[in-house]
Amino acid sequence: MFYIVCALAAEARPLISALSLRKDDHACPYDTYFSEDSTCVLVLSGMGNVAASSAASYLLTRFGFRPDRDFLLNFGSCAGSIPGLYLIHKITDEVTGRVFYPDMLYDLSSCGLPLSSEKALVTVPKVISSLPDPDLLYEMEASGIFQAASRFCPPHRMIFLKYVSDSGEEDPKNITSALLTERAMEQLPHVLSVLEYLGKEECPEELIDEDLYISTCLGLRLSETMRHELRQLFFYAKASGQDIESILSGLASEEKIPARSKKEGKEVINVIRDRLL
Amino acid sequence: MSSATVSYNFPFSHIYVEKKVLGHPRTKAILSRFSKSRVIKIDHYKDVFNRPRQSFRLQKDSPSLILAGNTGASVFHGSPVCQDFGYENFYYTSSCRNCIFDCEYCFLRGMYGSADVVVFVNLEDAFSEVEDLLSKHPVYLCVSFDTDLIALENLTGYVSAWAEFTKGHPDLTIEIRTKSFRKDIFQKIPSCDRVIFAYTISPKEVIGRFEKRTATLAERLSAASCAMEKGFPVRLCFDPVIYLPDWKKAYTELIEEVKGSIDLSRIKDVSIGTFRISSEYMKKLRKDLPGSSLCQFPFENHNGVMEYPDNLRNDMECTLVTLLQSSISQEKIFLATF
Ligand code: SF4
Repeated sequence: MFYIVCALAAEARPLISALSLRKDDHACPYDTYFSEDSTCVLVLSGMGNVAASSAASYLLTRFGFRPDRDFLLNFGSCAGSIPGLYLIHKITDEVTGRVFYPDMLYDLSSCGLPLSSEKALVTVPKVISSLPDPDLLYEMEASGIFQAASRFCPPHRMIFLKYVSDSGEEDPKNITSALLTERAMEQLPHVLSVLEYLGKEECPEELIDEDLYISTCLGLRLSETMRHELRQLFFYAKASGQDIESILSGLASEEKIPARSKKEGKEVINVIRDRLL
Repeated sequence: MSSATVSYNFPFSHIYVEKKVLGHPRTKAILSRFSKSRVIKIDHYKDVFNRPRQSFRLQKDSPSLILAGNTGASVFHGSPVCQDFGYENFYYTSSCRNCIFDCEYCFLRGMYGSADVVVFVNLEDAFSEVEDLLSKHPVYLCVSFDTDLIALENLTGYVSAWAEFTKGHPDLTIEIRTKSFRKDIFQKIPSCDRVIFAYTISPKEVIGRFEKRTATLAERLSAASCAMEKGFPVRLCFDPVIYLPDWKKAYTELIEEVKGSIDLSRIKDVSIGTFRISSEYMKKLRKDLPGSSLCQFPFENHNGVMEYPDNLRNDMECTLVTLLQSSISQEKIFLATF
């Protein structure tokens, strides 16, 4: 599932429309949009670092971000010297001086984002009127999102995609909604391609059969420590390609399961271990 | 490198460089080899290396390189789970962190939160620390401790540098532990009886299943022979001994192959130790590799160290000793005890 944070509706509009996201009408503290198949949830944070950080925390906790399979995507506009879409590999918070590094593991070149499309970015507290360093990008949310998300999200599952809307503006009013939407629209194919590409990643397998594990714990009257031991044997059986279910049904037909006492349960664990090794 | 569905960037596609070492000659030399990589300037290597929640497993397939200057100590007293081979002043040094090989049982998986490879470019500072120690007593130093230094030789040249340094310091003995196939190194460095090359020797099944990207058994044995030919002492490390359902057969065949390929009478010594690791590290290994039969083995916790059950451990150790002692004198066999 993709968890997407955009600051403004004007930036998100092309994505909302292309993914046919529907607004959640329940009372949400942020405007929130869902895809029908629940593969995408998008939140509009509003401008600024604090707003973005709170919205990211809300999004990830409220909708149960799973760090082994979900992605956080921050898509939005920035100021920069060369128009285009950029993948961000370094985020500096200008106010605190703290620096954050998404882990650049995925090769997104097939989505039109080769290594040369990567840039460093500075999160600033207000709209800038000119570019202090033409090699860098400037915007107002990424560092807040990174900090909030890093409590839940591995750094390789945070993707920051920024498109250049301007090169710094004396008058922020010149950065109109229409301009932001138009520029976002230009980059939409790449963003959709990233979503489609990362969406193909294989989900990790279920590790062990939890129902079987719990029923075995109950059947063997196991203490907490013994449950841990049994759990490890379930893991070992799975990892070594052995069928724990048939071992357990064998023990049931030998009338060792269910056990009549903890002591008997402990003995059965030893038998399971011996049969596995 | 790719899974069935997504691709990862090539190894060292991203090189993080501390600003303070940007002008260091080693930094420049290393960067000149990677024209296709992105170079990202950083303040401190820990800003990248210590990020929370990194995936060691995925980073192993696509590690970044971090070039840094070590500002703290870089020479440390040996840990009790390491063998000291009878040397009193046993130290290890950490001029690089992490390894381009990928062993499932590697303790670095538990020790570090990241699989990115760190190279400390200020090796001369480590030399000074060793010289300080040498002014007090002789030193036995493992220089390939939290990495496989030979595997990084093309990048760093550190094996050659340590060998040169050792040659000039008569009270220093170094051990270079490796699973590499490289032999060219023995032509490049001056032979010295205080530069010990220590080859981890594992059965083919263990290498194939658990020691990804390392040299084959035949390659390791051939490299070890070559080192001896060139006048270097060679240690064979049957450590870690790894459980397989047919471990006895695998290790018996292994010893036969070793005896057939190497003149064991010329070996400096051998070490034998079954797999063991701190329970804290093991938690991380198991989380990182839930599908690994090696890591998910139901080990016993002996005072914070995860080990095979006593009877299995003893059986493995005795088997190895018995297999070896017909060819190697008893005093050359070191058992891992702690
Ligand atoms: S060769 Fe050594 S340092 Fe490298 S991965 Fe294997 S065990 Fe770890």
